[in-house]
Amino acid sequence: MKFYVEPLSKCTQRLGSLSEIESKPTVNIKTPAVMLHTQGGQIPHITHEVFKLVSRKSQILQIPLAGMHTFKEAMQYYEGTISSFIGSKDSLSCLTLQDPCNITKQGHHSTLKVPIWTKNGKVYYDAKSYMDVVESFKPDIYFLLSDGDTNISSSEKRIAKSVSNTMNFYKECLDRHRKSDALKHSFVIAPIVGGYKQISRERYISFILEDMKNVDGFLIDGLHNNGPEAEFLEFNEIEPIVRCILNKIPTEKLRVVQGCWNPVNIINLVELGIDLFDTSYCHILTERSAAMTFAIEITDQTNTYEINLRDSKYVDDFQPILIGCECLSCTKYSRAYIHHLLSVHELLGPILVMIHNVYHYLRFFEKIRSCIQNNTLQTLQLSITEQFRNHQKTK
Amino acid sequence: MTTKSPLVFSILTECGTSKARVSRMILPHGPVDLPVFMPVGTQGTLKGMLPEQLEELGLQIMLANTYHLGTKPGTEILQKAGGLHKFMNWNGCLLTDSGGFQMVSLLKLAEITEDGVRFQSLNDQKAEVMLTPEHSIEIQNAIGADIIMQLDDVVKTTNPDKERIEESVHRTTRWLDRCLKAHQNPDTQNIFPIVQGTLYEDLREKSAKDHIERDVRGFAIGGLSGGESKDDFWKMVHLSTNILPKNKPRYLMGVGFAEDLVVCCALGVDMFDCVFPTRTARFGCALTRKGQLNLKKEQFKKDFRPIDENCPCNTCKNYTRAYLSGIVTVLPVACHLLTEHNIVFQMNLMKDIRQSITKGKFPDFVRDFMLQVYPTKNYPSWIIDSLSAVNIKLK
Ligand SMILES: [Zn+2]
Ligand SMILES: [Zn+2]
Repeated sequence: MKFYVEPLSKCTQRLGSLSEIESKPTVNIKTPAVMLHTQGGQIPHITHEVFKLVSRKSQILQIPLAGMHTFKEAMQYYEGTISSFIGSKDSLSCLTLQDPCNITKQGHHSTLKVPIWTKNGKVYYDAKSYMDVVESFKPDIYFLLSDGDTNISSSEKRIAKSVSNTMNFYKECLDRHRKSDALKHSFVIAPIVGGYKQISRERYISFILEDMKNVDGFLIDGLHNNGPEAEFLEFNEIEPIVRCILNKIPTEKLRVVQGCWNPVNIINLVELGIDLFDTSYCHILTERSAAMTFAIEITDQTNTYEINLRDSKYVDDFQPILIGCECLSCTKYSRAYIHHLLSVHELLGPILVMIHNVYHYLRFFEKIRSCIQNNTLQTLQLSITEQFRNHQKTK
Repeated sequence: MTTKSPLVFSILTECGTSKARVSRMILPHGPVDLPVFMPVGTQGTLKGMLPEQLEELGLQIMLANTYHLGTKPGTEILQKAGGLHKFMNWNGCLLTDSGGFQMVSLLKLAEITEDGVRFQSLNDQKAEVMLTPEHSIEIQNAIGADIIMQLDDVVKTTNPDKERIEESVHRTTRWLDRCLKAHQNPDTQNIFPIVQGTLYEDLREKSAKDHIERDVRGFAIGGLSGGESKDDFWKMVHLSTNILPKNKPRYLMGVGFAEDLVVCCALGVDMFDCVFPTRTARFGCALTRKGQLNLKKEQFKKDFRPIDENCPCNTCKNYTRAYLSGIVTVLPVACHLLTEHNIVFQMNLMKDIRQSITKGKFPDFVRDFMLQVYPTKNYPSWIIDSLSAVNIKLK
C-alpha cells in the first residue's frame, strides 16, 4: 500500500490517496478519510451485511485490539487475515491499540508494558506479545505499540515515561516488522507521543527520524485518553502541539489522529494537515440516542445541529431524521418509529440512528475533500462552527 | 362482482399418507406459502433485523403483539402512522395476537370476567385496565395486520378444573361473536377464532364445532404448548385438525421447535409461531438439523467452520463459529447475525417440508429428518405414536 499526497498548495490542508494495495489493487481511498470504527470486528450496531446498505465503497475498518484480544489464540490457527475472520474480507483493516470510544484508564502503566481493557479486564501487552498478535492478524495497516497515556494535564514524569516506553516499543516492533514475512505488505503507522510538551514531542520525533525505514505514516498519540470526553476538547488547547508535531514530520507520510472529535474540530484538524480519522464520534452520538442533523450543503433543509430521538416531541413526528438525507434510515423510517424503538429498547433503534450517523459523517468527509479541491474549506468551516455554536447556546 | 376476499386459500398438494398439505394463502399484503413458520416481532421489529433484510430472505409473514403495541406506541400513533405496516416499513403480511395471552402470562394480577380481562397496567399510574373483546379488536384494527386473533379465555393447560375449562370454552365462543361484531375492517383483516378446551377431548371438540359455524376464513388452535405432556399435546392437535374444515388454514399457536413443526405438519397444521428461534439467538444459540449449538462453549473457539455448511444465510456465508463464539452475548450485532441464521433455519425447514409434500416424498423426509436428530433411532415415544397415527412409520 502506498500513500500519495497531491502536489501541495501553500495551504496546509491536503488531498491524498491510499492505493496500490497488494490484496486489493483496484481500491483507492481518498484522504482526508475516515476509518469505520469497530468493536470486536463489527461497526457498533451495524453488521457488515447491513453496512452494504449504507455504502458500497471500500472502507478501512479501524480494529482496536481491546475487542479482539479474545481471538488472540484462535488467530494463531486461522489461515486468513483479520478482515476475513471478522467477516469483511473486502475491507481494509487497521489494527490499533486502544479503542477511541472507551476511556483509557490512567495510572495503570508499567515499564515496557501497556494495558488494554478487554471484556475480561485489564491485559498487558509488551512489544513481543503485541507483534505476535499483529503477525497473526496480518492487518493491511497497523499502529506500532505505544504508551500514549497522556493528556493536557499529564505530569512531566508521566510524559517522560511515555516517551521512553514508546521509544523502546518503536525499536523492537520495527525490528520485528522488518524480519516478518507475514507483514511485508502491511502499512506501518508510528505513534508519536510526548503529551502537550513540545520538547518531549520534538525529542521523540528526532529519535524516530534517525531510522524511519518501513514507516508509512504517523499517529498523533497522547492528546487525550479516548472516550466521550474527546468530543469536547477545545481546539485552541490542542492546536499548538499538533502544529509543532506536523512541522517536524515529513510531509509525504500519512497523518492520523484517533478519537471522537466533533465535526468542528475535524475541519480544524484537516486544515492543519491531518489525513485520517475514525467514526467513533458516530458511535458516541448513537449511544446517547442522538442523530447528526447539521447542514453539510447550504441547501440541506435543517435548522438543528443534532437531535435527540428519545425526546418525546418526536413521538408522532413522521418526518425522517433529516429531510433530504438519502440514507436507508431517512428514506424508509420516521422519527416517530425510531423514537418508539428507542423507548422500548429494541435493537433496531440504535441501528437506524447509527446508519444515519455513519452515512452523514461519510458525506461530511466527502464534502471536506471537495472543499479542499475547490479551495472552499473555510466556508464549510464557518458554516459548521456557526451551527455548532448555535447548538451550544440552545442546550 | 363481489369484493375481493382478504384471504384466499387454496390447497396445492396433499400428502398421500399423512394429513400434511401444501397450500397457499393470499392476504392483502401478499401470498404466504403454507405450511409456514412466523417469527415474532413483538414491538413492531424483529430482533435487530431490518425489514429490508427479512424481505431479502423471502419472509412472507411475521407476528406482532397487540398487548405491547397497544401500550407503546399506542393506537393513536399507529392510526396516525397509517397502521403498523407503514410505521415499521414492512410490506409483507402481519398477524397479531389478541393480547389476552400476554396479559394472563405476563401479569400476575389479571382477572377474567365475562366482560374481559382485568389487569393492572404496567405503566406508571398502575391503573386497573380492562381488555374486552371489543377493545382488543379496536387495537388490532389500528395495527392493521392481515390476520388478527379473537380475544380468548385462556386457561393453563395444566389446570385440571374441568368446570373452569368448560366455562372458558363457552366464553371464548361468546367473545368470538363480540369480536366479529366489533370488527371494523372485515374487507382487509381476517379474524381467526381460537379453539380452546385444553386437554379435554369433548371440550376441544365442542369448541372447534362451535367455531366452525361462524363465518371466518381460518382457525387457530390455542391453549397448547403450555407445559402439558407431549402425549397430550399431539393428541389435541390431531383431534383439532380432524374436526376443522380442510378448506381453511389452521394455525397452531406458540409452537416452533423443529421436531414439533415436522410432526404437526404431518397432523395437518398450516401455520406456526414461536419466540424461541429469535430469543435463543440472543443467548448465543444457533439451530441446526442435528440440534442446537451453544456458541459460547469453549469447543468452538478454534472451529473455523460456519454454523452449518449447507445453510444459505449470510451469517453462514461470512462468519465462522470461532468468530461468532467470541462475540455472542458480548456484541448486540451478534444477536442480529444469529437471528438471521435461526430465521433462515426455520424457513428452510418449512420449505423442505413443502417441497417434500409436493414431490410426494413427505414420509421419507420425516424419516430422514428424525434420523438426523436421533442418529441412534432412540425416538421419543410421542413422536413414534403421533406419526404412526397419520401412517408414517419411523422404525
Ligand atoms: Zn439519514
Ligand atoms: Zn446460516
